[in-house]
Amino acid sequence: MAGDKKLKMSKTKMFLRIIFKSLKVRRNRVFITFFSIMIGAAIITALSSVYFDISTKMSRELRAYGANFFIGPSASSGSKAIDLPVIEAAIKMVPPGRLIGASPYIYGVVRLDLGNAVMAGVDFAGLRRLSPYWQVEGKWIVVDFDDDSCMIGKTLAKNMELKVGDSVNVVRTETGFQKTLQIKGLAETGQAEDEQIFVNLTLAGKILGLEGKANHAMLSIVSAGLDIDGLASQIQGKFQGIDAKPIRKVSYSEGRILEKIKGMMALVALIILTVTTLCVMTTLIAVVSERTREIGLMKAIGADNKSIVMQFLSETLMIGLAGVAAGLIVGFILAQVLGQAVFGSSISFRIIVLPLTLIPSIAAALLAAAIPVRMTVNVAPAQALKEE
Amino acid sequence: MFFRMLGQSFVRGRRRKALATITIVLAASLITALMNISIDVGDKMSKELKSYGANINVVPKSEAIPLEIGGVDYNPMKDKVFINESDLPKIKEIFWHNNLVGLAPFLKATVEIIGKEKKHVSLMGTDFDKQIPVAGDDEFRIGVKTVFPYWQVNGEGLEDNDDSAILAGAGIAREMNVKTGDAVRIKISGETKVFTIKGILSTGGKEESAFIAPLLAVQKLARLEGKMQSVSVSALTVPEDKLSRRARHSSESLNSLEYDRWYCTAYVSSISHQIEEALPNVTARPVWQVAAGEGAVVNKIQLLMLVVTIAAFIASGLGISSLMVTTIMERSREIGLMKALGAANREVYLLFLSESAIVGVAGGLLGCLAGAGLSQVIGLSVFGSFISFSPIVLPVNIVISVLIALAGSLMPSRLITKLYPAEVLHGRR
Repeated sequence: MAGDKKLKMSKTKMFLRIIFKSLKVRRNRVFITFFSIMIGAAIITALSSVYFDISTKMSRELRAYGANFFIGPSASSGSKAIDLPVIEAAIKMVPPGRLIGASPYIYGVVRLDLGNAVMAGVDFAGLRRLSPYWQVEGKWIVVDFDDDSCMIGKTLAKNMELKVGDSVNVVRTETGFQKTLQIKGLAETGQAEDEQIFVNLTLAGKILGLEGKANHAMLSIVSAGLDIDGLASQIQGKFQGIDAKPIRKVSYSEGRILEKIKGMMALVALIILTVTTLCVMTTLIAVVSERTREIGLMKAIGADNKSIVMQFLSETLMIGLAGVAAGLIVGFILAQVLGQAVFGSSISFRIIVLPLTLIPSIAAALLAAAIPVRMTVNVAPAQALKEE
Repeated sequence: MFFRMLGQSFVRGRRRKALATITIVLAASLITALMNISIDVGDKMSKELKSYGANINVVPKSEAIPLEIGGVDYNPMKDKVFINESDLPKIKEIFWHNNLVGLAPFLKATVEIIGKEKKHVSLMGTDFDKQIPVAGDDEFRIGVKTVFPYWQVNGEGLEDNDDSAILAGAGIAREMNVKTGDAVRIKISGETKVFTIKGILSTGGKEESAFIAPLLAVQKLARLEGKMQSVSVSALTVPEDKLSRRARHSSESLNSLEYDRWYCTAYVSSISHQIEEALPNVTARPVWQVAAGEGAVVNKIQLLMLVVTIAAFIASGLGISSLMVTTIMERSREIGLMKALGAANREVYLLFLSESAIVGVAGGLLGCLAGAGLSQVIGLSVFGSFISFSPIVLPVNIVISVLIALAGSLMPSRLITKLYPAEVLHGRR
């Protein structure tokens, strides 16, 4: 009994000793195995991290298309305008960090020097974030309380023979309000805005005699992973006489595009994952095949097949775990580089990336070690020793 | 002797060479697939982004400024100008006609609804899915189906030749309390006609507060046969850049070479310019919400693919090198023997590098084929169409494969040739 125990102990000792020696003596081999597993794990970590973040990131990019949410008076209320505080409170209901930009709008017809035009009162700071696609010649109005400036649509400017820097008289016949405004910028959108004149919200309220009111508001919301219809009904439930809805034109397309991009990234990541895993495997197979003679020698001095396989697998497992650990770190750094280069923001770390990297890397490594060892252990030792 | 050794090395070390080739095939196929996709992804995505609707709006040249708030027009109908419907095929004859995905004509009239509280509403006429004759392209379909794929009709759609069917916008349907199957009596300039509502239209845009009928029916009703008011054009474009911005600002500032380049590039501004050339008396305006948004998004996706390709490229390069290092280290005894028999270092290099080059070429070629297949799999499953194969990918890939294989072999062969033959043969390394 005691002898058995001793034998077992010495066997374990021998096992550890072989592994230890093998790691220490053949540093080159260990390094190559470690290195290729690390590269594989790093690329898998980086791509899967990017993949899990792509929806939020691209959703933010798609906000280049402008407003995707509308708040206005409901048809049943019969009113054409809402009070500004109500709109502001409704905008506040959007989860923080999700709102890219928002602006209330108020419209009315005014008289300019050469004819009538539609005037729009907006919040310029919000509008600029809301509509990054505006092509502006001259400057945006940046100060919120700038009561002496306006922006003007390109077609309107052409028809009224106005340029950036000119002054224009604005008259509202109904209220008798009159004011001279300086044109800060010409806006071109290709839509109705081209024929409108823009001033800030308070000034428009004064000119049109509708202070503290707005016709509607437009919002730009990052919608990935957010129940936007739920948000709409929440807002409608909280405020009476308000109609809140996603703008179908934009939100429908956004969903479709996000799905495409996600699908593409998924396939690309999957292909890279497969190919990288296979690459790691071929390298490991090459490393282990080199050791045919060693296997022959072990067999010749009496090792059984099982213990040889075990020894090789444990060795690979140890190097593999170290490689994956290093790969996770390198891959996460790589993901940050990708995120900064493409989106200018960092990629968040997700726990799911851990098993996603660990399982295929280790499985590939063990499989790659097992294949050549199994092929060799069945060969007669003399044959194995003879081979170069 | 050299060729004999080379041949022997491939025959004797079949397994080793096969492994090296497989690795290079895998890496090369990955790079090929990614390169192909990143070259084509811009075109593919901009086709997808067409779901945001028209990016060019064609309207008659007009001195009058429309005064429209919330779909209600404050200008009387009489000084409106029109485009002739017969001019529509001319748009499809411009230089970039192949990039025009769809056209949708519109005619709008303010009409009276009899027997309802709200009297004045707008009635929009458009084509849904109609075939028009175009020179050199006998199958061109126009209509909102291709231009505005996000339009959603709850109920039946409209037939373009049905002059008593109509769609109600979701907003107006709620406001007037009408539903599918109802009849509405529409009056315009003294004439009354009964339409049946075939469906409710949701778009999230101004169309929701109007009735929509086939163009032909509205033309007849408004006595404007063969006329239309605007055309929405959906075109495949490339993102704006410095040149197109300068061209837009003032086309005089471009010299003739720059002008040619601008004219022959599918910028939204040059396509608009060509439409204005083809049709007299119209203004073609880029819809910047769609055009600029598309530019921003396509640039982002291209950049993303490029960066991913570079990352995968570096990873597979390192993978190939580490494999080459292994296969050469493994042969240290052979090198020792060669040196002991009097081979010069140069000859050893030559042998090993030629082996690597052969493996690299073979792997690169096979990898290109596999990669081309792989990119088609992605193209078909994500975009439902083939990815065009860029011929440039082939030579680039083979050169890269060979270079990586050579670089990977150079380092270890140098290391080994430096050693004394006796040491290597003894197996100390």
